[in-house]
Amino acid sequence: MNEAALLQNYLVVGGLLFGIGVLGFIVRRNMIVMFLSAEMMLQGVSVSAIAFGRYHNDWGGQMLVIFIIAVAAAEAGIALALILMLFHKSGTLDMAFWQDMREDGQPAFIDRGVPEERAEDRVWPKLTQAGIEPEVDREEQLHRSNV
Amino acid sequence: MNVTSLLLAQTALTLSSPMIWGIGLGGAGLALRLAPQVAWQKLGIVAGLIGIALIGVALPPLGEMLPQVLFWLMAALAIAASGAAVTSRSAVYAAIWFAVSLLGTAGLFLLQGAQFLGIATIVVYAGAIVVTFLFVLMLAQPEGHSPYDRISWAGFAIPTATIGAALLIGTLIGLFPEFSPVARPEEILHEAHVARLGGELFAKHLVSVEVVGTILLVALVGAIAIVIQGNPRRRTGTRESGTREGATDR
Repeated sequence: MNEAALLQNYLVVGGLLFGIGVLGFIVRRNMIVMFLSAEMMLQGVSVSAIAFGRYHNDWGGQMLVIFIIAVAAAEAGIALALILMLFHKSGTLDMAFWQDMREDGQPAFIDRGVPEERAEDRVWPKLTQAGIEPEVDREEQLHRSNV
Repeated sequence: MNVTSLLLAQTALTLSSPMIWGIGLGGAGLALRLAPQVAWQKLGIVAGLIGIALIGVALPPLGEMLPQVLFWLMAALAIAASGAAVTSRSAVYAAIWFAVSLLGTAGLFLLQGAQFLGIATIVVYAGAIVVTFLFVLMLAQPEGHSPYDRISWAGFAIPTATIGAALLIGTLIGLFPEFSPVARPEEILHEAHVARLGGELFAKHLVSVEVVGTILLVALVGAIAIVIQGNPRRRTGTRESGTREGATDR
């Protein structure tokens, strides 16, 4: 396999993942989605690091990615605890709720022209039913309730 | 002097290369996906997919059939799913798309011969982190899509961020040096890959492993401390869990 081409391909993929993560972090207002975007940036860096490690035939890239994964796990724990606390205080995951912290004299951001909520917006994703429903044993139920 | 012209002179990107058109189309697709109009969103999906295809065409060939096909599949999956994760209106779907994107990334890792990391990505990221995301979402967002997910920052922010991201990617890709071809990486592709990896990890990087373990412990304690701080223990001694009132009137 052409190792130089492989490295270049992986760097392009890593750059794209990183860029999409940056875009999501700036554009989205939902704190959890912002955090997901940050994780996506880490993924882009991981892809590049592993590609460089293979190109140079060195374990350093993979070591770095192992530590990235560990630190990302720690970061996820802390960040989600923080997000839960912010949610308890504000009742919303909206980042714009915290715009009170902006500098003096800055105009407030006000939502204009929020698109209508569609019917499919109101439903959660549903899991399809798996397997068959077990038959209810009448006697056993009675027995259990009696115990 | 003129930095821009210097950069332009150095980049491998020109208007004739499909790469730059792919990046542009992909960015336009992401921006359209974020627009409020439903028709534009569908157009955005098409534009994004065409953009990914153009970038794939522009990449240098790997030289072997099977790795090439696998790479295209995995890379397209990872990038398309991450684009969908960033633009989907429902945060739950965003988390699920992120998990799909992780599957693609794990496939890319496996293709590089990084067996342990491919599996670890699926287990730790898709298995633990994404599930924690979904758990917090269930706690925090009980129904439907919220208005802030539907509109995001609207107007000015989306095109600016998209152009910024496209420029970032274009600069990164355009400034690649010429990579010289090297021999097959014998060490990474060794038969006993995972054993070698473990040997390296616990010989050269032992201190780092200890430090990372400590960081995980500190993060665990810290997360608990953060949550407790908002819910002070009631003086009355009743066993009430931290409700929203309890959090605000401390």
